[in-house]
Amino acid sequence: MAADEDPDPGPLVRMFAVTGGRARAVGEAFDVIAVVTTIGMPYDQAGLSPEHLAALRVATRPTTVADIGTRLRLPLNITRVLLSDLRREGLVSIEAPAATAGVLNERIYQEVLNGLRAL
Amino acid sequence: MDYARSDPDTLAIKILIAGGFGVGKTTLVSAVSEIQPLSTEELLSDRGARIDDTSGVEGKTTTTVALDFGRITLREGLWIYLFGTPGQDRFWFMWDELAIGALGAVVLADTRRLGDAFPAVDFFEQRRIPYMVAVNQFDGARRHDPAVVRRALAVPGHVPLMVCDARDRESAKEVLLTLVRHAREMSAVRA
Ligand SMILES: Nc1nc2c(ncn2[C@@H]2O[C@H](COP(=O)(O)OP(=O)(O)O)[C@@H](O)[C@H]2O)c(=O)[nH]1
Ligand SMILES: [Mg+2]
Repeated sequence: MAADEDPDPGPLVRMFAVTGGRARAVGEAFDVIAVVTTIGMPYDQAGLSPEHLAALRVATRPTTVADIGTRLRLPLNITRVLLSDLRREGLVSIEAPAATAGVLNERIYQEVLNGLRAL
Repeated sequence: MDYARSDPDTLAIKILIAGGFGVGKTTLVSAVSEIQPLSTEELLSDRGARIDDTSGVEGKTTTTVALDFGRITLREGLWIYLFGTPGQDRFWFMWDELAIGALGAVVLADTRRLGDAFPAVDFFEQRRIPYMVAVNQFDGARRHDPAVVRRALAVPGHVPLMVCDARDRESAKEVLLTLVRHAREMSAVRA
């Protein structure tokens, strides 16, 4: 595995190709474990990159942002840009993760502990 | 990984792994994660600011930082997501985003470079995010009394501090168990 700080031209090249040089997602911010679901397929696919289409295919089953990034082998911030494009086009929904620390109840904590022990 | 959104029992839980370069973050995430490969990269400018506009990207103003990503399926509909990234000042903008909604954080420390753990301890203290310190015991590193490490890092008494071997799955599991227990106690205190 490359050292943490190795300059790597790969992702930059991909970033230009995939997002047209944009690094900021449009619209409301979303979490790395927000859940993305494809809610429509475009009639005209011409305006979408292969990566946009790949993301749409992955998210036909609801999938987290981080998992989509891993499947597409793209950095998370680029994945975010792609997904925000798709949301703007009305092709995906992005839902906040259900579990934030504040809402975890005792039962969930216990379940997580049991699950970890059983691994 | 398949989400059934209608199911209220469907949960993704986020745990952060922080610490200096070479402290064993990638190793720890790999030891417990069910997915490989684990690393993605984030693009950074030289100053550590997120790249908002890519003019000048051709210059030597950008670099990438590893972001380890791991997943543990506890049961259908219950996942732990692990995110590991360097706990250094220039990367805090990433942590600010990652930390939102996190169950808690593990600060990995190496006794040969304890100071590298300071910024991460500070970060989680200030944001009142439940965290623990796991001292990764490297070969050849002198064994330190955990109490000495605690004092050196100025970690409060209620914060768990333990020695681990990041390469060992059982040890990594024990770290996560300790963090989840601690987060549960903290949430009981807050409630
Ligand atoms: N002896 C020993 N080596 C370790 C341990 N944890 C990590 N390493 C090694 O230390 C190096 C840095 O670890 P890595 O996980 O890449 O650190 P990161 O920069 O925090 O992600 C790697 O070569 C690991 O194999 C450990 O507990 N004991
Ligand atoms: Mg690493």
